[in-house]
Amino acid sequence: MNLWESVRVALDGIMANKLRSFLTTLGIIIGIAAVITVVAIGQGGRAVIMGEFEKIGTNIYMVWVDWRADDPPTGREIQKEDAAIIKRLSPAVSYLAPVNTAIRPVKGSEDQKSARLIGTTADYIHIRNLEIIRGRFLTAQDDNGCRRVAVVDEELARELYGKTDPIGQKLMIRNTPLVVVGLLKSEKSMFSFGTSKPVYIPISTWQYVFHNYYISQLEGKAVSREEVPLAVEQTLKILERRHNTEGRYQSVTLEDEMESANKVTGILTLIISAVAGISLLVGGIGVMNIMLVSVTERVREIGIRMALGARRRDILMQFLVEAVMLCLLGGLVGIVLGVGGAYLVAKLAHWPPLVSWGTVAIAVLFSAVIGIFFGIYPANKAARMNPIEALRRE
Amino acid sequence: MIKTAGLTKIYQTSSVAVHALRGVSIEVKKGEFVSIMGPSGSGKSTLMNLLGCLDKPSGGTYTLDGTDVSNLSEDELAAIRNRKIGFVFQTFNLLPRLTALRNVELPMLYAGVEPEERYTRAKTALERVGLANRLHHYPNQLSGGQNQRVAIARALVNNPAVILADEPTGNLDTLSGEEIMAVFQELNAEGATIVLVTHEREIAEHTQRVLTLRDGLLQRDEQIKDPLNAKEILQQLRNKAGDRE
Ligand SMILES: Nc1ncnc2c1ncn2[C@@H]1O[C@H](COP(=O)(O)OP(=O)(O)OP(=O)(O)O)[C@@H](O)[C@H]1O
Ligand SMILES: [Mg+2]
Repeated sequence: MNLWESVRVALDGIMANKLRSFLTTLGIIIGIAAVITVVAIGQGGRAVIMGEFEKIGTNIYMVWVDWRADDPPTGREIQKEDAAIIKRLSPAVSYLAPVNTAIRPVKGSEDQKSARLIGTTADYIHIRNLEIIRGRFLTAQDDNGCRRVAVVDEELARELYGKTDPIGQKLMIRNTPLVVVGLLKSEKSMFSFGTSKPVYIPISTWQYVFHNYYISQLEGKAVSREEVPLAVEQTLKILERRHNTEGRYQSVTLEDEMESANKVTGILTLIISAVAGISLLVGGIGVMNIMLVSVTERVREIGIRMALGARRRDILMQFLVEAVMLCLLGGLVGIVLGVGGAYLVAKLAHWPPLVSWGTVAIAVLFSAVIGIFFGIYPANKAARMNPIEALRRE
Repeated sequence: MIKTAGLTKIYQTSSVAVHALRGVSIEVKKGEFVSIMGPSGSGKSTLMNLLGCLDKPSGGTYTLDGTDVSNLSEDELAAIRNRKIGFVFQTFNLLPRLTALRNVELPMLYAGVEPEERYTRAKTALERVGLANRLHHYPNQLSGGQNQRVAIARALVNNPAVILADEPTGNLDTLSGEEIMAVFQELNAEGATIVLVTHEREIAEHTQRVLTLRDGLLQRDEQIKDPLNAKEILQQLRNKAGDRE
């Protein structure tokens, strides 16, 4: 008897008990559907996060001073001039800017708001890919002349100035009046959610306003993604040489951040997949249970088939194929539900429906393996029957 | 065709050993129609199981169609059952979920016959037992006599060396039983070798030879000089029924 005949005989057996077959495979259906949906959600979520990183630019990095209790920083480890010098010396660095950040109230003509005040230089717009909608960004002249100018987030500007055109208007920070020279498009990133909106001022102006020459970090952009490690290395080396220190600086690249984000989503997917895997295991045990019932119910059929010339391996195949078919049918239903679920979630969450067809293939394979693994015991039980005793059974 | 020498069968139960057969030597020639009789428990079914290669003897030898089958492997026995033996049981033993046609196809399934050939041969076999218009009926849609004829069609579809029937009329009324005997006599006339177990002397007298078992031993081997003709008896029964109307 060939495989196709076995499949037909098995389908007869499955169809004879449609409801029971369905209930039997429910565990498998749920397990497979869960695995596919969860993996798709994981991949979709990751695609969104990675997209955000790509938006920022994958070749940026940051350097800051390591804070140690036994050897606190002097406040001179990074200086404003370092950025320009490093940029000139290192061919791997295409932009580098000193960055100080503080949350401070700022006052326009209409209202006062809390803003994320950022003191930096002209390079910053290239590092973060910021978008000017009106006016201009900070320039080298602004920094050199310690000009009292500010570039403001458009939404913040609307809150500060209402309907008046903010360009040319006065902006009060502490007791220093500045002039708005540019408007920036608001960042619509999942990382900026809930944070204060930015106001950019020249780093020299920052130092004047706050009476503080301390620079908290450097933000840079390498010429390419591949050059990031070199850019970081050279930045650190030049800093250490200029300030005659060693091991005082820390750095991070966006690549590092992406990796750890990847790791987190990977772990989550793994955990939920494990839960789904347990559901599959339970489903498999359900299949074994029903196959055992089926074998006891069909003892006489087994006897008849043996009397008509079925060998033990024919009987084994019949029940094994039946178990595998059950699991495969369950797997197919599970795939349909899982893919449907993935598309539904993708639609609700506005991300691409990333159904991993590799996962689908593994799901099919896995359900077949479950069928074989949990079908072999009942099938073997059927095949080992004595034909005479089987025929005598009512 | 069938030749046994000193066939014994001992059933080992937990408490005692039952000597179901104590040395049975019989010979059935090609084309013979033989019946086996004997009281309940005399070993008739045990002998049939051995002749049918469903079981292995405890002692003695058994030659079927020229091959010694006493020491064959299980797979070889399955092949013998498939190709050389056709079983007919008292309780029909059809698979309830399959149509008459697919029940008859079963032995060919295990013989590896191609689907088209299976279909035509099964159809021919059912036509031979007078069920040409019941091909797609399920067992529960057929009468006892019709079910037994499906079983006979199934038994002969692989052209076996011998047809073994254990009380084939046991579950049937006289008329249906007579019809079954008519089918057997017709098959026998066409050359089939048939061995049949029965409790009824009248059924046995349809065959050419009666073997009687008692306590696991062959007690009598008698030739029937003038076997009853099932067709004639059926005709008489039908006439009688016609008279009464
Ligand atoms: N599987 C078995 N285990 C133990 N003893 C058995 C077994 N099968 C049959 N026997 C015994 O063997 C003897 C012969 O049984 P067998 O079934 O061959 O009788 P039989 O002639 O067919 O009887 P009947 O006319 O009632 O069908 C009986 O004593 C029976 O109890
Ligand atoms: Mg019996």
